[in-house]
Amino acid sequence: MTVTRLDQGQRYRPRMAFLKKIEALMMEMQSPDTGIKTQTQTVMVANIPHAVTGNDIMQWILQRLQITAEEALHLGDLFVKYGYIYPLQEPKNLTLRADGSLYRFQTPYFWPVQSWAADDTDYAIYLAKKNIKRKGILEEYEKEHYNMLNQKINYKWDFVIMQAKEQYKAGKERKKEDRYALDCQERAYWLVNRTPPGMLDALEYGLDRVTDPNENKKNTMEFYRREIMYYQQAIMKTRVKSSVSLGGIVKYSEQFLSNDPILSGCLPSNPWISDDPEFWDLNAKLVEVPTRMRVERWAFNFSELIRDPKGRQNFQLFLKKEFSGENLGFWEACEDLKYGDQSKVKEKAEEIYKLFLAPGARRWINIDGKTMGITVKGLEHPHRYVLDAAQTHIYMLMKKDSYGRYLKSPIYKEMLAKAVVPQEGVKKSTGLFGRRHLRSSPSPIILRQQEEEAKAREAANTVDITPHSKSPAPPASTTGPQAVPPVSPGPPAPPQGTACPSPISLALDSSTAGPQGTRSPGSRSSWGRFLRRGCWSSAALSPRARAVPHGKVQPLGGRERRRRPDSGAVS
Amino acid sequence: MVKEECKALLDALNKVTACYRHMVLTIGGTSDSQNLREELKKTRQKAQELAVANRNKLTTVLKDKSVSKEDKAEFERLWVIFSTCLEILEIDMRRALELGHEFPLNVPKKHLIQTGMSGGTSGVAARAMSVQNMKYEAEHNIDVVDLKDLENEINQVGEMMYEMEMKVNVPQWTVEAKQDPGAELKSTISVGASSIGMISVEENKSFCDISKVLAGIIFTAVLLIAIVLAVCVVKLS
Repeated sequence: MTVTRLDQGQRYRPRMAFLKKIEALMMEMQSPDTGIKTQTQTVMVANIPHAVTGNDIMQWILQRLQITAEEALHLGDLFVKYGYIYPLQEPKNLTLRADGSLYRFQTPYFWPVQSWAADDTDYAIYLAKKNIKRKGILEEYEKEHYNMLNQKINYKWDFVIMQAKEQYKAGKERKKEDRYALDCQERAYWLVNRTPPGMLDALEYGLDRVTDPNENKKNTMEFYRREIMYYQQAIMKTRVKSSVSLGGIVKYSEQFLSNDPILSGCLPSNPWISDDPEFWDLNAKLVEVPTRMRVERWAFNFSELIRDPKGRQNFQLFLKKEFSGENLGFWEACEDLKYGDQSKVKEKAEEIYKLFLAPGARRWINIDGKTMGITVKGLEHPHRYVLDAAQTHIYMLMKKDSYGRYLKSPIYKEMLAKAVVPQEGVKKSTGLFGRRHLRSSPSPIILRQQEEEAKAREAANTVDITPHSKSPAPPASTTGPQAVPPVSPGPPAPPQGTACPSPISLALDSSTAGPQGTRSPGSRSSWGRFLRRGCWSSAALSPRARAVPHGKVQPLGGRERRRRPDSGAVS
Repeated sequence: MVKEECKALLDALNKVTACYRHMVLTIGGTSDSQNLREELKKTRQKAQELAVANRNKLTTVLKDKSVSKEDKAEFERLWVIFSTCLEILEIDMRRALELGHEFPLNVPKKHLIQTGMSGGTSGVAARAMSVQNMKYEAEHNIDVVDLKDLENEINQVGEMMYEMEMKVNVPQWTVEAKQDPGAELKSTISVGASSIGMISVEENKSFCDISKVLAGIIFTAVLLIAIVLAVCVVKLS
């Protein structure tokens, strides 16, 4: 049997409802009284009846359907393109000409059918027959098809040749005029179904469909039940009024118009046009002095502030003054968890728990009991989004509470005053031979290390006064931030002093103390250490924090045992 | 010999299929008539008989384990030809059914399509039935009556094909065609067929010749110019 293609469930031709409609019209055209008048075509010595002129066809359509001339011409043209009528004088030109050029009706066998497409085997037989008749003279594209089919259906090839010969012989039993008409019919059929290159394929319908349009689906109870359920749910869908959503878009566009570099231009100059990267330098992620536009943008809404790293930095300063710095720290830690490595998800989740969520944690965040319950339960099987509920809560807290005060605070105002407004850039001359000073931006590795350093510095400098801990002022500030190896990419970085224990080392190895605890997190980012080998002596690495487990922060598993936070002094 | 018998049967089926195709082509056209419908019926029945005979013969041969390898390959090739022939026959029969429904002959409102055909198909039918002249004995409403039989026969053919597929395990793609592309040109049918052989080869040959001639001409021209220049240089110095 013929091997059918591997299907992805799409193997039905689409509904071609127009075919039946055209057929009805075709039948009407044949009526001796109301149909089209036919003539006889003279080909050499033979007379073949039933030829019609293009003009007659168009007039008939006009009169029957009562449409405009343009439409009638187009409709007639479609009849020719689909293969219901074929031209006699210019066989390859499948258009309807509303003049005296002759056409003939196609035999119903060759009408297009929805159920199946023109078969490759048939086409091969036709080409072989043509070969026999014309002694090897085929069109270029036909030759290509011939060779391609020979390879594609090679196993049927013997049959193709046999059948072609037999059909040719059988054709000889007919009258000469009929043979000629038959030739014309077949040629027209294959012109429609295997269009030559450059011709429009009118029967093309794109991809096959998944459902069979000829199938008679019985509508069972189940079907109606599902339909009712679907419509009920559709009614309950929440919808936003278009006036509201459109108003939102308008407001957004108006607000951000001045910030858009394409619509409002950018100062000092567009780097892509003037080759001057000053714009990027001024708007670098953690630049010392941001531009005024950027700072003003933080006042638009909270998400703008949070999105900008410089904004976050500034906001963190403010929060520290308000003693709620742990909120932003927690939020950043959650983002890191969500977008970080899959392999580190478990460790990070545990660290975050220890640092922010556990009772008596160093930077304990204030979330309601229900959320805390959900989060703690989720942490038994941690995944990326386990802290989502808590993160959302903290986000809303910051947005509703701290953000308003921040915008009125002196920190923000100071930043706004400090902000620089870049001048309109002067186009630098490119020099005699076009030599430009090309500065390459710092390597991403260096940038990342700088970021981590900054983060570690921040973490070390955080003063988190929670009601239960009496941690002293961080001694880390005295030792200074000069030699801070990036021990871990996460926010809980190892402090410098011996007083604050490193939660990471606790997480890893609560039994062993000392440098072993700090060295194993160090191995995690040995790449960073490798880079620093030239910068610092290894001696700097040894006097690190002695990780003394003082039992203040309970490990994840042990929280059931000790609910009451230990109020012992920090060793 | 079994092989020759099989081949003969297959040729017969092939012939009948080709004739059937010719006849189905004329349904709905102006040369349609009750005679045509009767011819269709007769041809169809003959085709079915031949198909059954073919199937029986080929299945017995293929099931036979004592057949040699080359013979087996040959029979598999014949099997593939047979199954393809049967597919074509089934498609034509389905088409005939559809067209028969659409173009009943005795309804005055429904007109036949003016396809330009004027002659009959009796010659084709005679060829199919392997008789000299066709005799027409059916009633005058055969076009309607026959359709039910046609439906049944289509079902029968469908079942037969399914059975064949299930019972005989011949992977089609392993069969290689014996005839090369362009083999039909070598046949004795085509009048004045020279030893053309492959179509593409012939075309290439003529093109090669033209390009070779052109290249030769250009080369000689360049050579002549070079000689002339050299002579001038010698003369002037």
